[in-house]
Amino acid sequence: MLVATREIVVRALNKGFLIGLAVTVAMIGGLIGFSAYMDSRTDSFDVAVVTGDDAALTAVESAREEAATSDEGIELTVLRVDDAAAAKAALEDETADAWLSSGTAGTAGATGAADDAGWSLSGWREPDGGLADLLGTTVRDQVMADRADGAGTTIEALTAGSEIETERLDGNPVDPQVVFFAGFVLAFLFFTGAVGSGAMIAGSVIEEKQSRLVEIIATAVPLRQLLAGKIIGSSVIALAQNLLLAGIGLVGLSFTDLSAVLPAMTATMIWFVVFFTVGFVAVAALYAVAGSLASRTEDLQYTTTPLMMLLMGVYIVTFSADGVLERVLSYVPPASIVSMPVRVLNGDALWWEPIVSLLVLVVATLGAVLLSERAYRGALMQTGGRVTWKSALASDKGTTLGA
Amino acid sequence: MSDLEVRDLTRVFASGDTPRRAVDGVSFTATSGLLTGFVGGNGAGKTTTMRMIMGVLAITSGEVLFDGAPVTRHDRREFGYMPEERGLYPKQPVLDQLVYLARLRGIDAPAARREVLEHLERLGLAGRAKDHVEKLSLGNQQRVQIIAAVMGQPKALVLDEPFSGLDPAAVDAMADLLREHTRRGVPVLFSSHQLDLVERLCERLVILGGGRVLANGTPDDLRAKGVTRHRLVLAGDAGFVRGVPGVLAVDVDGSSALVEVHDDDAATRLLSAALERGAVQEFSPVRPTLAQIYREVTS
Repeated sequence: MLVATREIVVRALNKGFLIGLAVTVAMIGGLIGFSAYMDSRTDSFDVAVVTGDDAALTAVESAREEAATSDEGIELTVLRVDDAAAAKAALEDETADAWLSSGTAGTAGATGAADDAGWSLSGWREPDGGLADLLGTTVRDQVMADRADGAGTTIEALTAGSEIETERLDGNPVDPQVVFFAGFVLAFLFFTGAVGSGAMIAGSVIEEKQSRLVEIIATAVPLRQLLAGKIIGSSVIALAQNLLLAGIGLVGLSFTDLSAVLPAMTATMIWFVVFFTVGFVAVAALYAVAGSLASRTEDLQYTTTPLMMLLMGVYIVTFSADGVLERVLSYVPPASIVSMPVRVLNGDALWWEPIVSLLVLVVATLGAVLLSERAYRGALMQTGGRVTWKSALASDKGTTLGA
Repeated sequence: MSDLEVRDLTRVFASGDTPRRAVDGVSFTATSGLLTGFVGGNGAGKTTTMRMIMGVLAITSGEVLFDGAPVTRHDRREFGYMPEERGLYPKQPVLDQLVYLARLRGIDAPAARREVLEHLERLGLAGRAKDHVEKLSLGNQQRVQIIAAVMGQPKALVLDEPFSGLDPAAVDAMADLLREHTRRGVPVLFSSHQLDLVERLCERLVILGGGRVLANGTPDDLRAKGVTRHRLVLAGDAGFVRGVPGVLAVDVDGSSALVEVHDDDAATRLLSAALERGAVQEFSPVRPTLAQIYREVTS
């Protein structure tokens, strides 16, 4: 366990690692902070209306009431101006953000001088989208109400029964978009965690191999123990890192308006952390082999490429997979590390499914570790050029130590 | 006393289609309490042999004995080993990693720390204990490495090129350190390219070439096996030595000649022939240097 302790201490004190972690934490915090800010902020607009344009005035007033009662976060103030020229001047010197004109005679908007040019919303630049939506709806309602009146009916009578109610029968409150986003985040966490920690373990193996330090260590402790120490050490780091990030994510989530999905998300995160921890052991073992196959640090990029491709494949496939493919992937390691927690969040996994998938993962991990242990011992003492998996597994080339 | 013995050690590397016998039936003993020098050109098999002794490399055939019994991993755990390439963890402080390596060998932390500090002090590195290894000069890194090997009173020392890259003062300090361990009665086996150094330091010598032991014994033994040369200095011209039967004139220069005498009769004949011609100022054996012996056995 001395080895594991050293791996942890060296990693935990590594500047690059700490900076990387700090940047990730800051990114997550920033993302959550930004979305919370976007949710809570209020936009205020000064809308200019030319005196005498009563239709526009009514529209803005009712839009203001509408905005005040909804949670759109828009605040309106009416700014009365004398005529079209004054309205333009107000837009130019930014005392008004927009100018609503009903287009009736004498009050025509900025662009059209013609009579009855229709409704227009002008800004010095493009008017704000949220404001345009709000005023657009209000004006439409107002015009429709007028015409309904003219036709001897009411707007309520016209639109009655045209609303569509949405209803979800599985009772899962989690928005599919949230599921997609969570899938993306989990795939990202998996990928960065696995590749980052994997590269660390491969680097630490080659450091010892290249300097022949491993020969000194090997005479003191069995190589099997050395490998176990490395795997445990980097798994602990990877686990701590993911717990930290998941924790920050969840705490952050509780401050946003997605807090309703918190219980489901927490369960997903717990599953993810469990899956990741088991799966990472295999990833770490394979990366240790990649390290031992190299003979110099420069070889690492060749020996780790296949693993990188595998992890990259998992990353790309899992966050975009759905339907049958996702169902299959949720049982296939290492994709199951991401896919199964996403299915849990999605609500379509039965209670036993994650457990079965986890067992499959455990078996696969054991296999990978046993295979890696053999290859690691076989390759570690082979110096001079890169070593292939085949020759690493050919037992006679290896060391007599380790068993 | 516990000798370190290798018997018929063989290692075959299957490189491509033609297996290569890097070490081929090597047998010798590193006697306890003695410094045994391991000499040979590049590719002679020194490193491969040492790696097999330490169990770092699998043995194709043959065996390694310690104290008369096949070496075990527990024995090896108490051997001090210095591998061929230099380098420890480049980014870890000297003290920390030496303590770590000592603890891996089962020494408890406070004792390891004490011993490491003592050794650092001794090799003039006390002020560098907190420095990262990569900041040290190569010679100092070498000293750190030797400390890694000699910590914890090892039962045997197997050192691959411990003297390479050291200045003369450091060589002496290192030699003293090794002597200290031979005085404790442990066998010390070290390889070297520096023949003069080996000649000066070693009580025993093993010359390796092409994976085989070419010569093995004390430096004097080896010299005795070589053909002895004699220097003959006369008052007059020494050219006549070319005509004496059983004598090979290696070099004749005026009144002085260097000759190889193949038996005692020939020596008598040579000397009486010389006395017939006048005074003999010098007739003395020329002891071959190790370098000569080495060239002879490896040629």
